Parts: sequence; C-alpha cells; structure tokens
Amino acid sequence: MAESESSAGLGRRTFVTGVVGLLGGIIAAVVGLPAVAYWLGPSLKKQESDAWVPLGPVENIPVDVPTLFSFTRTKQLGWERSATSYGVYVLRAGGQVLALSNVCTHLSCRVTWSPERDTYLCPCHDGHFARDGAIVSGPQPRPLDRFALKIEDGTLFVHIVEA
Amino acid sequence: MNDEQKREIDARHEQAKQHGVKFFPDIIYKDMIAAFGVFVLLLLLAVFLGVKPEPPADPNDAAYVPRPEWYFLFLFQLLKYFPGQIEWIGTAVVPGLAVLALLLLPFYDRSPFRHWRRRKLALAIMGAAMAGIIGLTIVAAVTTPPQEETAALTSLGDRLLAGQDLYSIQCVECHGDEGQGGEIAGVEGLEGFLMKPMNVGDYMYTREDDTLAAIIAYGQPDLGMPPFGKAYGGELSPGEIQAIVTFMRYTWDDRMEIPQDVASAGAVPALAPGEIPSYSVHIQPIVRRTCLSCHREGKKNNNYLMGSYREVLDTGDNSPVMVAGDANSLLLRLLRREEVTEIKDLDPMPPARPLKPEWVEMFELWVAAGMPETPVPATGAAPAATPTPPVTGTPPAASLTPAPTSGTPTP
Amino acid sequence: MAARAFRWLDDRLGLTGIYRTIFDRKIPKVNWAFTLGSATLFLAVLQGVTGVFLTVYYVPHPDQAYESVNYIMTGVPFGWLVRGLHHWGATLMVITVVLHMLRTFFYAAYKYPREITWITGVLLLLVTLGMGFTGYLLPWNQRAYWATTVGTSIAGTVPFVGPIIEQALRGGTDLSTLTLTRFFSAHIWMLPAALLGLVGVHMYLVIRLGISHVPAADE
Repeated sequence: MAESESSAGLGRRTFVTGVVGLLGGIIAAVVGLPAVAYWLGPSLKKQESDAWVPLGPVENIPVDVPTLFSFTRTKQLGWERSATSYGVYVLRAGGQVLALSNVCTHLSCRVTWSPERDTYLCPCHDGHFARDGAIVSGPQPRPLDRFALKIEDGTLFVHIVEA
Repeated sequence: MNDEQKREIDARHEQAKQHGVKFFPDIIYKDMIAAFGVFVLLLLLAVFLGVKPEPPADPNDAAYVPRPEWYFLFLFQLLKYFPGQIEWIGTAVVPGLAVLALLLLPFYDRSPFRHWRRRKLALAIMGAAMAGIIGLTIVAAVTTPPQEETAALTSLGDRLLAGQDLYSIQCVECHGDEGQGGEIAGVEGLEGFLMKPMNVGDYMYTREDDTLAAIIAYGQPDLGMPPFGKAYGGELSPGEIQAIVTFMRYTWDDRMEIPQDVASAGAVPALAPGEIPSYSVHIQPIVRRTCLSCHREGKKNNNYLMGSYREVLDTGDNSPVMVAGDANSLLLRLLRREEVTEIKDLDPMPPARPLKPEWVEMFELWVAAGMPETPVPATGAAPAATPTPPVTGTPPAASLTPAPTSGTPTP
Repeated sequence: MAARAFRWLDDRLGLTGIYRTIFDRKIPKVNWAFTLGSATLFLAVLQGVTGVFLTVYYVPHPDQAYESVNYIMTGVPFGWLVRGLHHWGATLMVITVVLHMLRTFFYAAYKYPREITWITGVLLLLVTLGMGFTGYLLPWNQRAYWATTVGTSIAGTVPFVGPIIEQALRGGTDLSTLTLTRFFSAHIWMLPAALLGLVGVHMYLVIRLGISHVPAADE
C-alpha cells in the first residue's frame, strides 16, 4: 500500500489520468465536432432565389384601397418540397402602384388592412402602419417591407427574393 | 454449493483483491485504451466502408434475394435443416432451448470448479455451439446467391441523369424529347395519335409526384399507354419511376429550380464561338435524349445502334452513315430532313419531329471536324466547353429592380 | 476557494463517498479480456449518441423513411459519418457482447456470487440482438424490407402462437406503416429503456461484487 503513495506512484497516476483524459477527449471531439455541423448544416444552407410573380392586370386592381394578393412558392427543403405563402398588399393610387409585404416587421405576424382606422393593423402587439407602410404606432422597428415591382403589357409583377 | 465452499470463494476473491490494483486509475486506463481501440476500428469501418447505398423497399421485386442481418444468418441457415412439418423445431425449439440454457446456466452448472482444466466438458459444449454458429454463418454466406445489383440513386444529380436516360428510352417515342407530345409517328398501334404536352404548367402543376409515379407504373390503358411498373408487368422499379418523376419535375415544372450545387447533368452545353463539338460533351447527350429510344437492341432501326461512340460510327445496314468532312453524309441529310431517294424506306430523323436547328448544326460541325470523341482544343482564343458567356459590367437584372427593398424582411 | 466550493458540494452530494465506492475500490489483477464489458458499454453509449442524432432527420414513415435517410447520407454535413458509426457500431456491439459472454463463461464468472449478473447479461445480449433486428428495418430499403419479412416470418412458424407473434410484430398481416412505427418505437424507446434498466442492475452488481478474479489452477 505504502509504495503506491510514493512519488513514482503519483507520477504514474498523473500519466494514466492524462492518457484517459486525452483519449476520451479525442473520442468526444471526433464525434462531437461533426455532430455540431450535422445539427447546423441544413439551418445554415443558403438557398437564394428570386422570381417575378404576376399579380394580374393593373387595371383590375381597385384604386385607393389596399388589396391583398396571396400566392405560394414551393421550395425544396430537406427531402421534401415545402410551400411558403406570401401576402402582398397592393395599393394603386394617383397613377402609382405600391406593393407592401403583409409581414409585420416586429415579430412576423401578419398585418391586415383595417378600412375603419385607415391603417394596417398587426394583431400581435397592436402595431399600426399607414397606407404607405410607415409606422403609426406600436413596437415595430421599421416600416413594412416593399416589393420591387414592374408593369409589363399591363400586367403587374412583384419581385420575390428568397434568401 | 455449501457454505464452506462459498466462504472459500469469497476468501480467494478477497485475496485476489489484496494483490490487485485500484479501479482508478489502473482499470479505467486499460478500459479506456480498449474502448479507444474499438472506436478507431469503428471509425475506420464508418469512413472507409461506410454504409452501402440500397434501393428503396420494393414489395413487388420478386428477384430480390432476402437475407437477414449477418448475426441472424446462422438461424436462417439452421432452418434449411428443418424442412416442412418439423420447421418449428428449428425456429422455436432449438433457439428457445439455447436461450434457456444460457439463462439458467448458473443453476444447473453447480460444480464449484472454475479453472478451465476442471471444466473441460462445459467448455467443449460451448465451443461446439460457437463452432456450429460460426459454421452455419459461413455456409449461409457462401451459399447466398449473388444479389442482382440495382443501382441506388442517392443524389439529385444521379436521379436526374438516370431519370433522363430512362425517359429517353421508355417515353420519348410518344411524349417527345421535351415532353412536348404531338403526333405520334413510328409507334405501332398509336400511329397518328395526338399526344398532349406534359412540359407545361397546366400538366405539371396539377399532378403531384405520386400521381405521376402512379401513371407511369399503371399506365393509362384506355388512352393506349401501357403499364411500366414491375408491379403491373412493366420493367421499371419504383426507384426508376421515381427518377423519371424527378427528371420531369425539375425539367418541366417551372416552379422547381435545380439547386446550384447539382451539376447540370445530362444537359447539352451550348457551343462557344469557335468550339468544335465532341462526342462525349455534345453529341452523346443529344443521342441519349433523342435517338437512343429507338436506336438500341430490339427496336426497328435498320440495325443502326447508338449506344456508344463506336456504334454511332460503325453500325447499321447503311453504314457508314457519316464520313468525316462530308456535309452530305447520310445521317446529316436525314437530320436536315432532306429527301433520300437512292435508299428505299428511309424516314427523316427523328421521325416525329425535327431536331432543334442548333443541334443539327452541332452534328454538321462534328462531322466536318472528323467526329472527335473527346474535346479538342478550340481554334479560337475562347477556352473549350465554356457554356456561359463572360460577364461584362453590371448584370442587366439590376436595372430591372427599381427599389432596393425586397419581400423578405432582412434583419 | 475551489476547495471550499468542493466541500460545499461534497457535503450535499457525497462526492467523496461515490469516489470511494466506485473509483477507489480494489480490483483483482486481470487481463485484457476483462475490458470487453466496458468496451461494450462504450459502444452502447455511442449508439445512443449517434442514434439520438439520427432522429434529428429520420422520419418513420414508408414514404419518407428512405428519403430522410438518403438526406442524412447526402444532404447533411457528416450525416454519412453519424450513420456509418451507428451502422457499424451495431455490428461491433454484437461482437463485443458475444465475446464478453464467452470470456465470462471461460472464467466461470457466472458462478456464485454472480448468478444475477450473468442472467442480466444474457438478457442484455437478447436486447442487443433485438435492437439490431428492429433497427435494420428503419431505412426502409430493399435489404431492410426483405430481412424483416423473413425475420418476422420465422417467428410465424412457432407452433400455435406463431401467427399471433408474427402479426404482433408486424402490426397486421403484412409489412406496412404499422410495422415501421412499432419497430421504430421498440428501437428508440422500449428496448433502450430495457437496456438502461438491465445495464443499471448489471453495473450495480459489478460494483457491489467486484469483477471476478482469474481462477487459479486449483479452483
């Protein structure tokens, strides 16, 4: 018993503990580091795409009333195709056309046009946006996002960018 | 075993412990080294052997030779020796008794002896059992008939390519090389039938992948389309049908975009200025898409086969169909749909509809250059096989986007 | 400071006691064959870790199982490694479990006082084989489908109760979604729970009784 307490015994003890720690660390690293990439891989994958989506003839769009257009886009996510739905409020006024996203800039709830109050209303934290998307009141950090748009042969297109 | 023997054993064990070592660090050290060795072996197996790709489950594949995991092979083999009425002896009695024998071992082996010299009978029985298991496993492994290899298509690129090849062989004659349909020519029983196009939104948007797969597998008997799935007497496995559906979806459904990391597999690259077309880069993809469905074994084609470079050059009743440098080679005249009178019964090629003009031109340039098999260095300054034009200035798309805002909220 | 923190924890958790009972105990001098048990335990833990990671993407459904496994192999960084480790880990674990049993048998370590350790060990061998059998079906590929068809049919040949066992395993008369989900459930919940319990008893007994010594010629 007494021998194992000697300095030689302690040296061996340190060595053995070190080897156990080293080998354990190697195993943990070889399994653990790829596991992090495995977990994060699809989350960090960039899939950029853009498209001009037709919303129909400009002349059919009501004047001075924000009108909601909905459409879906399919994307390959993982091994399945998933549909993402988009809502675009189009406002035609004074010869100008404006396309606003219906996604609140605060926490991504969907805003709805409220004709009585003349604002876009976000149901989550009672945020209000004006006709042109500017902030009226509420916690939202910036105005509603605008889509780029173009008119070709009388048909309105909005530019969807997915990043 | 009596109390005295138990005391004797406990004393022996106590003595062995006194002369022994501490669990930490000595035993843990050894255990760690052993575990590490196992881990290295496992890592080598996982990295260098990996997991072999397998085709998806196909309950209709009668040709597949079923085998259990290797560690159940001995049991599988054992059943061969218990045929018919006595099969249950092999499946229930023998394994059941073996498990029972193992579980109850400490209760019927009551001799106090522990050293192997005094337990020769027990060791012999266990040794015989293990030898039997190993023997049966080896016999089973050796007598397993070779599995007919079906390629497992794992990556999207592989599937697109395989789907295109299968489409070209199975579907092109009626549906056209671009899925455009049109009047069917040269297909027995369907001559003159006006096929609707599939390469349009109307068709692709309204049919899910499962629907397309079902149509291919079962056919549309009322409309003259035969079944192609193995389950209904055709020759395609579910994996192959899936590949065709994937090809159709990514080629004709304009909502789908092929991810950038998937190479444009099987596409016919455009010719760069001054580039000389070659078989491997340009001609073969065209042939695979438009010609091979008829120009293969077992079809009516004047024995002109187009499966390989050699076949394209040398086969056929009217060989040679191409002569290096001769712009009036037979094949080129047929592709240009010129009337050929000196040989009887020759139709323009492809029979149903003309080849795209740029592809015909590719053939002409290829014949003029002496039908090279592999890319030849271009005569011009532009590097060979560059499908995209060089980028100049700002991309034109920028001017089409009037406002810098976008639909997706970006932080 | 560190010493005081340790004292505080030790008073409440009994760390020193744990250290004395588990790590500081005396063990007979043994050879390398006695590392097979801990190697098996190591593989079991690794199977657990890689298995948990596989469930991040795996879907137990006939329409999606194959595609999700394919996605793990081709679409996820190091997915091939995680699945490779799990696949080969299963094979190695069967080997180490059997070798561990043979070692125990050779040194007659199943005799007094370790009878219960032996019984839990045999049950652990069966659970390991069950894990292999249920896990094999999950990728829903040709090999898996047909191996399970054959495997469950073997159970069906047992006299009287065979057909009932076969249908209980398959969740019906044929291989279907029901088979896949119950194999999945068995593979990731039931058998691991049994494994955990049995390993607990096994390890408790190993620590309580100490590992057996190499028998001398007169034993």
